Amino acid sequence: MAQGLDSSSPCVVGPQISIRGTLVGEEDLVVEGRIEGAVTLAGHLTVAQNGVLEANLDVDSVEVWGEVVGDIVASRSINIQKGARVHGNVTAPRVIIQDGAAFHGSVEMEVKLPDALAKSIRH
Amino acid sequence: MAHTVIGSSIVVDGEITGDEDLVILGTVKGRISLRENIIVEPTGVVEASVETATITVNGSVTGDIQATERAELKTDCRMVGDIRAPRILIADGASFKGNVDMDG
Repeated sequence: MAQGLDSSSPCVVGPQISIRGTLVGEEDLVVEGRIEGAVTLAGHLTVAQNGVLEANLDVDSVEVWGEVVGDIVASRSINIQKGARVHGNVTAPRVIIQDGAAFHGSVEMEVKLPDALAKSIRH
Repeated sequence: MAHTVIGSSIVVDGEITGDEDLVILGTVKGRISLRENIIVEPTGVVEASVETATITVNGSVTGDIQATERAELKTDCRMVGDIRAPRILIADGASFKGNVDMDG
């Protein structure tokens, strides 16, 4: 039986666990199982290879090795790794999509547009 | 054995289901349904109905517990709700309000 853990032990949602609802927190989280709903995390989220998130994510940074269906907003970076499957819109200052990742959706980064283009979009 | 940890700053509102051990240092509201062991650590807060094999409470639980094997309330835990399990242990120093049903 799992015992003797202190508060510094990493927060893990294991492979046999499924959470339906919202998850809010301020620490790093590793998801090996399944979450349906919404995740709001002031920390780093790792979606492990077998992890499945059918949720909108609002995080500091996220690294996806598994599957995400939903929109991702990160205040720092979104890293979609080889073998990952992401379906949704991603918004972050840094978005990294590795070779071998499957991604479907739109990407929004803070891009400084050329003046002429910026004007034409605004009007 | 693989297990899941809900960290101390984490709040889950909804339903947790599954088939592995769960350690709760944070807050879980809603419903928990497992076939394994749950440990609620001293910082853990559970406001949920719980179905499990065994549960060990060091923290706070509000809601009914149904355990197929064992429910244990440790010293300094706070528990409000009904407990139904074949084996129920309440340690000296635990605070508990609710019904106990050991008939199964």
